[in-house]
Amino acid sequence: MAGMATSAGSTRKEIASGPGRMKRAGALPLVVVAAAIVVLVLVAALSLMYGAVTLSPGEAISGLTSNSDVFAHNVVWQIRFPRVLDAMLVGASLAVAGALLQGVTRNPLADPTILGITAASGLSSSAAIVFIDQQMPQWGIAMAAVIGGLFGAGVLFVIAWRGAISTVRLALAGVALSAFFGAAIVGLLASSRTFLQTSLGFLAGGLYGSEWRDLNAMLPYVIPALVVAFLLSGRLNMLALGEDVAAGLGVLTDRTRLAVLAVAGVLTAAAVSTAGLVSFVGLVCPHFARYTVGPDNRYLVPVSAVYGAILVVAADLLAKLVIAPSEIPMGIVTAGVGAPFLLYLVKFRP
Amino acid sequence: MKLSARNLTLAYGARTVIRDVSLEIETGEMVAIIGPNGSGKSTLLRGLSRLHRPASGQVFLGEQDIRSIGAREVARRLAILPQSPADGTDLTVRELVWRGRYPHQGILQRATRADYAAVEWAMEASDVLALAERPLANLSGGERQRAWIALALAQQPRVLLLDEPTSFLDLQHQIEVMELLRRLNGEGITVITVLHDLVLAARYARRIVAISAGDVCFDGRPRDVFTADALERVFRVPMIVLTDPVSGLPIPVPGYHASAVTV
Repeated sequence: MAGMATSAGSTRKEIASGPGRMKRAGALPLVVVAAAIVVLVLVAALSLMYGAVTLSPGEAISGLTSNSDVFAHNVVWQIRFPRVLDAMLVGASLAVAGALLQGVTRNPLADPTILGITAASGLSSSAAIVFIDQQMPQWGIAMAAVIGGLFGAGVLFVIAWRGAISTVRLALAGVALSAFFGAAIVGLLASSRTFLQTSLGFLAGGLYGSEWRDLNAMLPYVIPALVVAFLLSGRLNMLALGEDVAAGLGVLTDRTRLAVLAVAGVLTAAAVSTAGLVSFVGLVCPHFARYTVGPDNRYLVPVSAVYGAILVVAADLLAKLVIAPSEIPMGIVTAGVGAPFLLYLVKFRP
Repeated sequence: MKLSARNLTLAYGARTVIRDVSLEIETGEMVAIIGPNGSGKSTLLRGLSRLHRPASGQVFLGEQDIRSIGAREVARRLAILPQSPADGTDLTVRELVWRGRYPHQGILQRATRADYAAVEWAMEASDVLALAERPLANLSGGERQRAWIALALAQQPRVLLLDEPTSFLDLQHQIEVMELLRRLNGEGITVITVLHDLVLAARYARRIVAISAGDVCFDGRPRDVFTADALERVFRVPMIVLTDPVSGLPIPVPGYHASAVTV
């Protein structure tokens, strides 16, 4: 996060010093992406080293690349490496879902949690566990979450998109949906005593105990969804010009919106199936991306993905460290970063 | 390129806004659509441009039914600039105008030389080249309107439709925009524009289509359409039609405040 903050700071200076804002941050997307990827690798490396036991850089590298040190090898390959990859995928998914939702609603406050899609996915996956199979395999949980995510996105489309899009209507619908689905989740978990302990991590959002099977369950959804998100990003640019302008330019606006919402639903759901109800990643990262590469969604979407990966890997690292050797749920850290950011937006952005 | 409507009926749900309108607009015409608020002018424009699906009837672009052509294909021949488009974007003028190339570009296809040429031409024609790197938000109303027109021109349309392109502009900017449209029309682009300002319509359009209550009630040259009687029937306000001493064109003005005339 520290690296992101400085790169954003220098970009701002550049805009301010340019003649009449001639030199835009958007001119440097490749530099930004390269810097962000370096930061991502660094946080990921730290995440391989720190946890309940600390590995030195040398131990972490030899654990990753060989099995000469059996202990380090097991810690890295069975626990930390899959968990870092899970964190990257969760972060990228949520951030891209947020970028898509902010683009399609033309509303800077849109985010999978605020619009109720996170809760819809969570309700569906926890209902599947409670009602169908307590030992449900991870791929089944992911599938249930995706069904819920698509349902949540669909409800949103139907409720908020009759006629003109109204920011107020969308926000109200989101508040209602997330309150409703959220209450249903808590009710469901509270009435099923058997796994109250694990449900706390699910409700707050976290990656405790996440493994390769989580990654395997997410990949079939996340990879295609990220590709489609990227392909849709050009059309998202057109939608940003307004309904009629976009349609006049040959964009099939309703179909595009539906596709964008569906992709956002799938991405959110995949993340929820692994990490539970993580909030604010989808809100914060697209804003940071817009700040550093400008409003073009063809850059904004992939850059958001990288920022999301950084944020979740870093948040997970902090979650492991604060009360080590115990952990706090990672969602607490993202909320700790995200909530002040939201307050900042409300106060300082028009 | 010719644009025509045949028995076009446009509705919002159960509310019919345009009823059974037939209209032929030939290549190279400069048409102003006038009429009171709520008469259906904007809806007609949307219907003519594929933005509004007809309840019945058809629109033809050239010889083809506009709904049988793909949306992108239509956007390469016909551009529409809606009334006061969104200004919530933080794009520069050049970035905005590049968006106009969308119907010509494939997914993941790189910009071609033709794209660059079209963008430069559009900015030059609309006189926004000097503003190219400025953010839209920093422009005056007239400059911004010209930038949006440049976006439409980047589509390289044969037919250009505009919905009240001069509203909210001061006199100088109104004239600027109308002069631009006249220039484009001179280059062979068919221009169809909804206008509130009757004086501008009389001065710049060569054909006036007056809409009242969802139907075309007058259609013809400004001199023929702009009579006090005809305008009173359209706008339901007593009208006086003066004559421009220089051009001889009609200047329609409301004649409502008879009591205020003291001399």
